[in-house]
Amino acid sequence: MSSETGFERDAESDSASPSPSSSVNLESVRAIAKKDFQDAIRSWLFWGLSFFFFLLLVGVTGTLAYFGEDIAAEGATTDMLVFFTSEITRVVIPLIALILGWKAIAGERETGSIKILLSLPHSRKDVLLGKLIGRSAVLSVSLIVGFGLAAVVVAALLGAFDIVDYIGLLGMSIIYGVAYTSIAVSLSSLTKSTTIAGAAMAGVFLVFYGVWNTLSTMFGLLAEREILFFDTVTYTGEFDGQEFQGERLQDWVYFILNIDPGEAYGSVLTLVTDVDAIELQVELNEQMFGGELPFFLQDWFSFLILLFWIVAPIAVALYRFDRVDL
Amino acid sequence: MPAITVDNLTKSYGQTLALEDLSFRVEEGEVFGFLGPNGAGKSTTINVVLDFIRPTAGEVTVLGLDAQAHSREIRSRTGVLPEGVETYDRLTARQHLEFAIDSKDADDEPEALLERVGLVDAIDKKAGGYSKGMSQRLMLAMALVGEPDLLILDEPSTGLDPNGAREMREIVREENARGATVFFSSHIMEQVEAVCDRVGILRDGEMVAVDTVEGLRDSVSGGTSLRVTVDRVDDETLQAVRSLPDVSDATTEDETTLVVQVDGSKTAVLSELEDRGIEVRDFTTREASLEDVFQSYTTGSEVEAQ
Repeated sequence: MSSETGFERDAESDSASPSPSSSVNLESVRAIAKKDFQDAIRSWLFWGLSFFFFLLLVGVTGTLAYFGEDIAAEGATTDMLVFFTSEITRVVIPLIALILGWKAIAGERETGSIKILLSLPHSRKDVLLGKLIGRSAVLSVSLIVGFGLAAVVVAALLGAFDIVDYIGLLGMSIIYGVAYTSIAVSLSSLTKSTTIAGAAMAGVFLVFYGVWNTLSTMFGLLAEREILFFDTVTYTGEFDGQEFQGERLQDWVYFILNIDPGEAYGSVLTLVTDVDAIELQVELNEQMFGGELPFFLQDWFSFLILLFWIVAPIAVALYRFDRVDL
Repeated sequence: MPAITVDNLTKSYGQTLALEDLSFRVEEGEVFGFLGPNGAGKSTTINVVLDFIRPTAGEVTVLGLDAQAHSREIRSRTGVLPEGVETYDRLTARQHLEFAIDSKDADDEPEALLERVGLVDAIDKKAGGYSKGMSQRLMLAMALVGEPDLLILDEPSTGLDPNGAREMREIVREENARGATVFFSSHIMEQVEAVCDRVGILRDGEMVAVDTVEGLRDSVSGGTSLRVTVDRVDDETLQAVRSLPDVSDATTEDETTLVVQVDGSKTAVLSELEDRGIEVRDFTTREASLEDVFQSYTTGSEVEAQ
């Protein structure tokens, strides 16, 4: 058996005829997404998640209401709520999406129930897309339920409350969640072992939260010593009326750092909210580049990066999954 | 037009050959029993027919369509009971069937289907609490959705008690009477001989016999097996019995039981024993069953095969 020890190779390589690429039927995709959603919505995970998001928002709000009289006086409470919450959801949403998507395909292959799906007139592409939509819906609905219920408490505790910022945070969190769901479902389709799929999920998390976060430090060290092609760029900035000289990394390094979906999620929030804390950060960044950010550091580009993380993984999976033995 | 045509099908996994140059056809409107011991390649064949796996060489057509290129259309006209599959724990039988009905764009009623397979009482219970037999009934009901032209049942009796297996055969007959072709795999001869028009026996990835049930029965020599209980038996007696003209084989089961394969007169055997002063306490005769045929084809012994 080719596939029992790891990620499998193409069945195509020892196949007589080229494997046909399956078609997509929207009715099939809808039927699979609906079934998958029905299945998942009955799990404790879904209700646990909704409750978790609710507690998270209420917790942050409560803390703000308790300590934040000064913030309230400045009318910046929703800003702070968005800022603190996004710092937490940035780590938590990937974890949840990876857990939700982990077994999406690998689990069905392991138990054989994928044969129930594929005995019916669905194509393999339908199954992948249906699963992605179904799981994304579960995550989105739990976010909406959690945020929705919490809105009442937030409004009561904070008094003033900017609904546009709040919905902006919810919307971007959903897109961020779908990106990680796409990564999870796609990886899950590459193996029939849930153990390997689980390891792949852990790997993804480590890459973006371990490796990526240390990249900027690493690049910084390399640049200081001018090792290889690393170098620093000197710039002049202004903060609190004082001019200062700073050093920054080369442009392309920022591009690499910004490919991380978590980084993109953080920057894209400026697109939909007017949270001062985040805006300030952007202002500082602009100074580093002599007044205007390069296109790949602008918030609309971060939005494209998030879309890329939705489209690219599932595109690879759609191509690959048509070509394996189940 | 045949319902299934398998031509020179080979499937290998690296060095392991799962199917070797397999060819057979299933005619439209028949009940075809696909028989073989576990590991013979039955599920591999079915997996290729349904495009779950891709052949290394050879061609498969189903309902006149190429199994790979037109898989979706084939599956829209086929009902499948897959083997060794778990149902969705958190969904009820009704939801499973609604999904299948929805997927096939059919207009069946979940109640009516579950009535047929005897699971209507559990219609709104989650499948996670089902026994193996109940899951099997549920999957049979899903296979019946949309009056398929072809039914592919992979080891359908798994987990069913004898009564359930009988009900399942009854449904196979009903579906066949409606006009459906049934392709039915099993490792137990008894379950296919009662319903199948023709039987194909698979062994180590190769088809070793394809015939009607009667044809297979006729292919067996030593039509009758005679079992004699005696007071004692020795080698010399055994040799003497073996040398009788109508006897093809004779063995001892234990110290007082003799099993003789005999084609003609049984009295000759009994007389021979009595002539040697051996007391015959009891004897029974048994017609050679298809089980014996199956045994002879799949174990490789040449005891009974001509």
